[in-house]
Amino acid sequence: MSIAVVGSRSAPAMAVRGCPAAALSAWTPALPLALAYLAFFAAPLLMLLAVSLFTDDRLTTLGLKQWERFLSDPFHWKVVADTVLLGLKTVAATALLGFPLALVYRAAPPMWQRVLLFIVIMPLLTSVVVRTFAWIVILGRKGLVNQLVLGLGLASDPLRLLQTELGLVISLTQIEMPLLLLPLLAVMARVDPNLLDASASLGASPWRTLFRVILPLTAPGLAAGCVLVFASSTTAFISQSVIGGGRLVYLPAMVWQQAMVVADWPFAATVAIVLLFSVSAVITVIGYAGRIAGGRIHG
Amino acid sequence: MPIRTGRRDLIAAGLHATLLTAAAVTAPFPARAQRRGSITSAIYPGSWDEAFREHVAPALQHAHGIELEMQPLFAVDQIAKAAAARGIPPFDCFVLDPGPRATGVERDLYERFDASRLTNRANLPAQLVDEWGVGCAAQVVGIAYNPKKVPKPGGYADLFKEPWVSRLGITGFQTTFGTVSLIEIAKIFGGSETNIEPALSELKKVLPKIAAVGAPAAMPGLFQQGQCDVMYTNTQTVTTLRDRGVDIAFAAPETGASAFFTTLHIAKGSENIENAYRYIDTVVSREVQSALAQKPYNFVPVNKQVALGPDLPMRNLDEMARFNTHDWSKINPLRGEWIQRFNREMAK
Repeated sequence: MSIAVVGSRSAPAMAVRGCPAAALSAWTPALPLALAYLAFFAAPLLMLLAVSLFTDDRLTTLGLKQWERFLSDPFHWKVVADTVLLGLKTVAATALLGFPLALVYRAAPPMWQRVLLFIVIMPLLTSVVVRTFAWIVILGRKGLVNQLVLGLGLASDPLRLLQTELGLVISLTQIEMPLLLLPLLAVMARVDPNLLDASASLGASPWRTLFRVILPLTAPGLAAGCVLVFASSTTAFISQSVIGGGRLVYLPAMVWQQAMVVADWPFAATVAIVLLFSVSAVITVIGYAGRIAGGRIHG
Repeated sequence: MPIRTGRRDLIAAGLHATLLTAAAVTAPFPARAQRRGSITSAIYPGSWDEAFREHVAPALQHAHGIELEMQPLFAVDQIAKAAAARGIPPFDCFVLDPGPRATGVERDLYERFDASRLTNRANLPAQLVDEWGVGCAAQVVGIAYNPKKVPKPGGYADLFKEPWVSRLGITGFQTTFGTVSLIEIAKIFGGSETNIEPALSELKKVLPKIAAVGAPAAMPGLFQQGQCDVMYTNTQTVTTLRDRGVDIAFAAPETGASAFFTTLHIAKGSENIENAYRYIDTVVSREVQSALAQKPYNFVPVNKQVALGPDLPMRNLDEMARFNTHDWSKINPLRGEWIQRFNREMAK
């Protein structure tokens, strides 16, 4: 059985294959945005790369000193690994909690779907700074979690949740959850119920239907959500600084320290590019995994 | 009636929007202080921006008919912008802490300052004025503690002992108050203004016991939530937290509180020198200093005619001469390495 995966080629892409002139005119409306991207994203990125190639903070001498300084220090590699791991742990936690919720959403009547969607979007209506500081109140020594734990007699002393990686992953999971759910819910809503009925009537158990039908069909949405969560959590400077504290060092904090406190812009630019490339590399892998998983439906 | 939009209209609308955006982005540059009767000053974002908007801008308008335009910028940004502008300053006045101030002196970013042009000169302590600028707010750094949870610490050495160490919250070298506190800790254990190794090694010994190693901006919140009950900080933070009902008190260490000034400077090449002096004169005037010292800003005033708050460890500004001060021209070159060292030693 072959099932068509949701999605179609865009009009410009089809026009490109037809006639170059038509393709050009099809892309013309996107020209202002493209120019804005060139001016305000591509050009600054090139400038960032150029700044990283200076050896001194006055930007007078060219050289690879900053790159040697970064790459030759094991501590910096540890910071890169910690940053990527933080993103992966957050992705795992959001996916594990978010996917069952998306299944509930798919099975819910339309009215409850609207309620669920509102609940999912609601955190986005509050600033990430507010949500981050709210987690201090929840995870602190006198916070809600510790009051509950002490009240139930589960521990004699308050648990140390703030300034730990566990606390940071817990808070990032809540903070980033809408980014996972929004693309996932969009794909989940388009899963044809007849396919699930067909799977059941052919003798597949609910688990087999989940893994062989629902998961491959929703893999593109899940992968898109994971990419957003990963990119957002690895660069979540405020949450990392406020919840994680000074003992958990991640790349965004290093960029800030070097750029804003030490004024060593070449080294800050180097760290920023490392952050960009390490995040991009993992995002590429997640996207590839999503395509592979989505492709399994054809097998 | 259906609205028909052609391709050309769409493109024209898009280009129009792009040009409008470009105009909006570039607008601040020609607008900068070209009008007669205005002054552009850099200002710290946040409470400084709010305080100056509420008190300084109306006072300047009232006294001299000068409109105050503010560019919210952190100190390092001010230095970077002015250095990049190469002689055509993007604003007329800086507001800086001692570290970036020293960098600005080194890079020749300020006009020579003539304090005799200030009508309030006589009301300012001598140590606040030099050839580069004038102090507009003092900061006094010491130990904050929760009097309901821990006894009053005698000094920085006590922070490494029980009951304080297990309730201690620390920050690194990112801020001026963090840097001067860690230097003072280093001095107790045999270090100096340029040798902070003893502080780091002593901190590392007690690190498992320490309650919090936080980002500077998070420390008031951590104290408020009871995550830590003792920390090094400035009097302004203590007063602001107490105003919010937090149990907090200030203790001047037995080795002396540290003091530094936030200073105002005129940007080299400014075409608005007269108005810059009037602006600075207004900031240090009795009326403005008195207003800035009130809730919720709690600035430490620099004008001798303004009474000091009860939390401060001195009754007049002249007493600040006995407080610990630091030479930032020596600290600045080392600070980047210190930040890295703190990251390494404290990292899990």
